[in-house]
Amino acid sequence: MNFAGLQLESVLADVRRGMIPAHVYGDPEIFALERDRLFARSWVFLAHESEIPEPGDYVVRRVLADSFIVARDESGAVRAMFNMCLHRGMQVCRAEMGNASHFRCPYHAWTYRNDGRLTGLPFHDEAYGGEDGFPRKDQALLPAPAMDIHNGLIFISLDPDAPPLPDYLGDFAFYLDFYTRQSPAGVELRGPQRWRIKANWKIGAENFAGDSYHTPHTHASVVDIGLFREPKASKRKEGALYVAGPGAGTTYKLPPGGDFAGQLRYVGYPDAMIPAMGAAWSAQQRALIADSGFMVSAATLFPNLSLVHNWPQIDDSGTVVPFISLRQWQPVSQRETEVLSWFAVDAAAPEEFKRNSYKAYLMCFGSSGMFEQDDVENWVSITDMAAGSMARRLNLNSRMGLTSAGQPIKPPLDAFAGPGVAYQGFGEFNQRHWLRQWSDHLEREK
Amino acid sequence: MKPLPYTDPAHQAAHQFLVEEAALLDAADYAGWLDLLCEDIRYLMPVRVTTARGAGFDALADMGHFDEDMYALRKRVQRLATDHAWTEDPPSRTRHFVSNVRTFRNGGVELRVESALLLFRSRGDTREADLVSAGRTDVLRETAAGLRLARREILVDEAVLRTQNLAVFL
Repeated sequence: MNFAGLQLESVLADVRRGMIPAHVYGDPEIFALERDRLFARSWVFLAHESEIPEPGDYVVRRVLADSFIVARDESGAVRAMFNMCLHRGMQVCRAEMGNASHFRCPYHAWTYRNDGRLTGLPFHDEAYGGEDGFPRKDQALLPAPAMDIHNGLIFISLDPDAPPLPDYLGDFAFYLDFYTRQSPAGVELRGPQRWRIKANWKIGAENFAGDSYHTPHTHASVVDIGLFREPKASKRKEGALYVAGPGAGTTYKLPPGGDFAGQLRYVGYPDAMIPAMGAAWSAQQRALIADSGFMVSAATLFPNLSLVHNWPQIDDSGTVVPFISLRQWQPVSQRETEVLSWFAVDAAAPEEFKRNSYKAYLMCFGSSGMFEQDDVENWVSITDMAAGSMARRLNLNSRMGLTSAGQPIKPPLDAFAGPGVAYQGFGEFNQRHWLRQWSDHLEREK
Repeated sequence: MKPLPYTDPAHQAAHQFLVEEAALLDAADYAGWLDLLCEDIRYLMPVRVTTARGAGFDALADMGHFDEDMYALRKRVQRLATDHAWTEDPPSRTRHFVSNVRTFRNGGVELRVESALLLFRSRGDTREADLVSAGRTDVLRETAAGLRLARREILVDEAVLRTQNLAVFL
């Protein structure tokens, strides 16, 4: 197949054997395929229910160029509506958040209720001859073709035939709970911080999925300054990498001998939160922490939602406090990404914990985070280098963890209570898993 | 409350403080910059959002790009001084333009000082430079060592920042 000069079959074959043609990180033809074959079909995260708790609350979010109003209507139901007036196509809601019972188009004042229904049409009789010329009844802003909610996370798909969300999430739902269901109250999200980086969107998604190998060097500075209790970043190699359903993630190895509560205390959770965590999670989820001895850290749910959990020291007395962040890599072009980064915390957590966890987040991740600063510098640089002619002659080796025959250099981890497949130590299993899904989407014409 | 007249020595001292501070930041003398801060500093930069005119807010009350105390600022400065802070190695070329300074007497030993800031940030030789425009509201405290910054709130003029990170101070 030829896509205007792009040898897609050969690109995907290379990607699948772990030898990534470097230009995929800066190629406009690849980006067009991602828009048409990946983002037009995949489940994509838009918002969290805690961002729109009251009737009338809304946020406006995009899937690439498509703007959606995500609103809670008067009955309390969540709606995702294409933000384009049915009449002349104006963007109906131009604020990014707020509370409204109705949205009125500025152009001709067509007015929609916060469930999308068209309720106001000026001069309906004079202009259209009433219902006969334009049947107003049952007109509504276009709903997202598919929408579903998991742990308060609102996902949509532009494909009306998308598989049900629970089927899509599959085994990754097990891991999502560690970030988004630490108690029956669920998490609350704050933010997002938003900023644009001149980097291809795939790089961040792959990095969070499984690049524990970059931590000792890229993030050497945060270890140098004693931001963490553990004095060596090489500790990262003791962690496990797992692949599960459409997601993949990294973990840290916990000190030996701790029980469930002890391990949560070790990463800084206060006693007030631990019983709820134990109750919210299954025996298998508790066993991942208590028996296998692993604590989740960075992860990516394909295609572009990443999660992170870490536990820095937030003061001079060495108080260790964990934080959670959700982030989305929103593609703008092959060369630019808008990052949306939320702070997430258990809604039932004590206020003091929320305050401290927020501080931990700001120091580590987000627009000013000391981890994220160095990550973005790398990703911008990769995108720069991928844009030229020479990048078409270079295949990036993404085969870490495999022998020349394509076998894992060590067997999967037995003592890993979570679903999916896990390996201890460094490897690019997770990035290859992410890229296989990417390849499957890109080759599907219909 | 009216701002102090231009000729007021307190206003002139505040203005000079901001200009000297900008010179330290542009020279990447972050240790020198820390010396201008009070131990109980709060350094805050709320996330700015696009809202309808009648919404009553255009910044998030519970989410910032920065919300720092002295511990966090010291860590940031220590990090930039390591050999591994790649995002600023090679360093950005920055220029902090400070203007529209208005000084208000807060009563006691503190002044409230508003200023406009335009940060120009250039990295490398292929990228377009970044601009960050913001208003700042500072509290300057008179101490034995001179004026010191006790609080800064940075109200950035973009909802989506067009700079790759905030490895810089505003």
